[in-house]
Amino acid sequence: MSVPAAMPQRPRLQDRVRVLLHRLDPPLVVASACILAILFGGSLYNSSFLSPHYLLQQLQVASFLGIVATGAMLVILLGHIDLSVPWTLATGAMLATGLAGSTLGGIASIPIALAVGAAIGLVNGLGVTVLRIPSMIFTLGVNAVLQGLMVLYTGGSAPPSSAAPIVRWMSDGQLLPGIPNAILVWAAVGAFAAVLLRATPFGRTVYAIGNRERAAYLSGMKVRRVVCLSFVLAGSASALAGLLLTGYAGKAFQGMGDTYLLPAIAAVVLGGTSIVGGRGSYAGTIIGTILIVLLQSMLAVMQMPDAGRQIIYGAVIFAMLLLYGRGRSGQA
Amino acid sequence: MSSAAASGDAAARPPLLELSDVVKRYGPVTALAHGSLRCEAGSIHAVMGENGAGKSTLIKIVSGVVAPTEGEMRLDGAPVRFRSPLDAQKRGIVCVFQELSLLPDLSVADNIGITAPPRRFGLIDRRAQVRQAERWLAEIGCDGIDPRERVRDLPLSRRQMVEIAKALRHRPRLLILDEATSALTADDVERVVVLLHRLRAEGMAILYISHRMHEIRKLADTCSVYANGRHVETFAHGTRSEAEIVRMMIGRELSQMFPPRPPRPIEAAAPVLEARALTWEDRLRGVSLSVAPGEIVGLGGLDGQGQREFLLALFGCLSGLGGEIRVDGTPASFRGPSEAMAEPARLALIPEDRKTEGLMQPMTVAENLSAATLRSWCRGPFLNNVHERRAVEEIVRRMQIKAVLDLPVSTLSGGNQQKVAIGKWLLAAPRVLLLCDPTRGIDVGTKQEIYRLLRELAAGGTAVLLHTTDYDELIGLCDRVAIFYAGRINRLLEGDAITEEAIIAAALDIGAERERAA
Repeated sequence: MSVPAAMPQRPRLQDRVRVLLHRLDPPLVVASACILAILFGGSLYNSSFLSPHYLLQQLQVASFLGIVATGAMLVILLGHIDLSVPWTLATGAMLATGLAGSTLGGIASIPIALAVGAAIGLVNGLGVTVLRIPSMIFTLGVNAVLQGLMVLYTGGSAPPSSAAPIVRWMSDGQLLPGIPNAILVWAAVGAFAAVLLRATPFGRTVYAIGNRERAAYLSGMKVRRVVCLSFVLAGSASALAGLLLTGYAGKAFQGMGDTYLLPAIAAVVLGGTSIVGGRGSYAGTIIGTILIVLLQSMLAVMQMPDAGRQIIYGAVIFAMLLLYGRGRSGQA
Repeated sequence: MSSAAASGDAAARPPLLELSDVVKRYGPVTALAHGSLRCEAGSIHAVMGENGAGKSTLIKIVSGVVAPTEGEMRLDGAPVRFRSPLDAQKRGIVCVFQELSLLPDLSVADNIGITAPPRRFGLIDRRAQVRQAERWLAEIGCDGIDPRERVRDLPLSRRQMVEIAKALRHRPRLLILDEATSALTADDVERVVVLLHRLRAEGMAILYISHRMHEIRKLADTCSVYANGRHVETFAHGTRSEAEIVRMMIGRELSQMFPPRPPRPIEAAAPVLEARALTWEDRLRGVSLSVAPGEIVGLGGLDGQGQREFLLALFGCLSGLGGEIRVDGTPASFRGPSEAMAEPARLALIPEDRKTEGLMQPMTVAENLSAATLRSWCRGPFLNNVHERRAVEEIVRRMQIKAVLDLPVSTLSGGNQQKVAIGKWLLAAPRVLLLCDPTRGIDVGTKQEIYRLLRELAAGGTAVLLHTTDYDELIGLCDRVAIFYAGRINRLLEGDAITEEAIIAAALDIGAERERAA
């Protein structure tokens, strides 16, 4: 009241520093530093660790996880979780390879995979918003049902049809010389997600719901619609990743999604997204994905026995989350 | 009468419990400025006062929930300090709280025996526990309650009776009933009255907090009135008239902090929003009220008489609503806030709790301010930051919000947070503004700014519905005041009829009592 007119015009330096500090994301910095440390450590062990060929190969592997993590992040930002990832991924892949036919190199498999993923996501979304079942339970149930359906569909073995040519090209081909197309697909999905989260009312609503669903509702936001749509997008992302994976592996197979659920959640959380929702940037999810893939790869290259690999993998995730927790406690 | 006997004894031996000049502060806020109380054995002592008068704090101190900041408490004449409610309980002081302390998923018997269940070989003896519960339920005249039933399945009134049985099990010397009868049916109130009379005859001291004058009339031997955190007066029941009691409860100057009220137009404008006989569960029992452009209508009454639910109902937040809502005379039904805020009604609700309902605390001030109007800052599918920014800066200037726009709203003071919660709706240019206790817990300066703002909005043609627990606001700010009591509008006051006496009388349902008695 005392300084009515002059107040809002020019932000003071002190305020600008506070804003800068607020925007600076400690997890992003820590995770990036970790990536550099892994690369450095790896290069000491084996100089080919820094070769473009090796790095691009890692990025290609990361793109499958990255696409899954994109969907997972959207759902986690809302304060929910999608545990149906493994079989959404496998179902999308199996139905797409099974039903697409061979017209135009099997181009139909792309819309089929996206539609299957979207349909599964819609079921998840409706279960969470209309039936009001906690997402952790509901998506777990959907995952089990999908597994059963796919066992029925394939008769319990890998489906006989293999990936369509266009899917192989999407995953392994090179539109730009030297760069596998899967990386481009990830880049496109990532750009879409980043714009969606940062520059649309939808994205703002996602953050608002994750922060305080009741306040978002009382602000007139369409909470149910946004939650449903987020699950739909997450389902589509999982199915798309499954499709790319068939192109990479040659065909769809049982359990192809099993190794994606927990690493995707880990990537999102290591990237600084709050597991209870409302906070996190897409850049963080990219960094988190790369970190997870590099860590797994380096442990494999060092020919660590599997038991040791799991222990180190788990310990790194613990250590990083502890680090974040300290940086963040003041703001929570 | 036993009060006479008790006061006769008091000269001979010290009272059971005595508080002198007890003070309780929470940081800079003084919840109880001057608490004095004498509880005698074999006597029922009623404590009266409006919301925020310090009664609850007094009870919390007596029952060991909080420790006093200053002052002395003596039990049987010896100074005493309770470390916890359990400590107080061991010394014979047991409280039945207003909010139920029962565990809904355990059985009645489990709940009654919860702190010290009967044991056999170190394990809980279920059969003995049921027998014990039966005995205590019979004691309070509630043989009808099955001790094996889950508390969740009992109606509210019966649950409250279980709570009383649970308290009696500790064989208290001083029993405190804090609004314990507010949820009871008439039958159960009768049972409690009989029970309390018997307990008094057995020599128990009873501290009775209630807003219901007719119960106090039936029960109390001694009354103490509190106002503004201070003990005003203690007197033997029947020595003061109800009008005198009401005046004691006010005890406060009406300050010059409200903007002048414009003269009422001779011909009232057509109502923009009208509620007809709204009903919802047992919280709203036929509420009819209308509000016209340019007027501020206050919703008063004690806490929890349906004011809050009424506003939520208007905003489309309650499902299963009975009755009718009309906008410009046309029936309307809102399935949620997003419909209520749309044309033609353009409602806006400032919710009660800005921490959990009004704001997304970790998000920035700017994001919070634009949260209700995101669609209008879009170009195509994308948010237009420049456009959004300009609108946000404009509202910050207009409301003089002291804030850094890109920091979390949680960094602001309570008053500025409330301004953000209001400002985000002003961006939507509402036709009807619903406010739920917007000045609770904020400083006087900001309060005045909010009053001025509401008056300006009204002058600009907005219809304002203001629920407040502060009587001053009803008197100083509102053109009309609807006093809620038990889910209905008990009285509609207008113009000079809006006085503190009238408001308190209607809030306590005193006038109606008199009419019924006559």
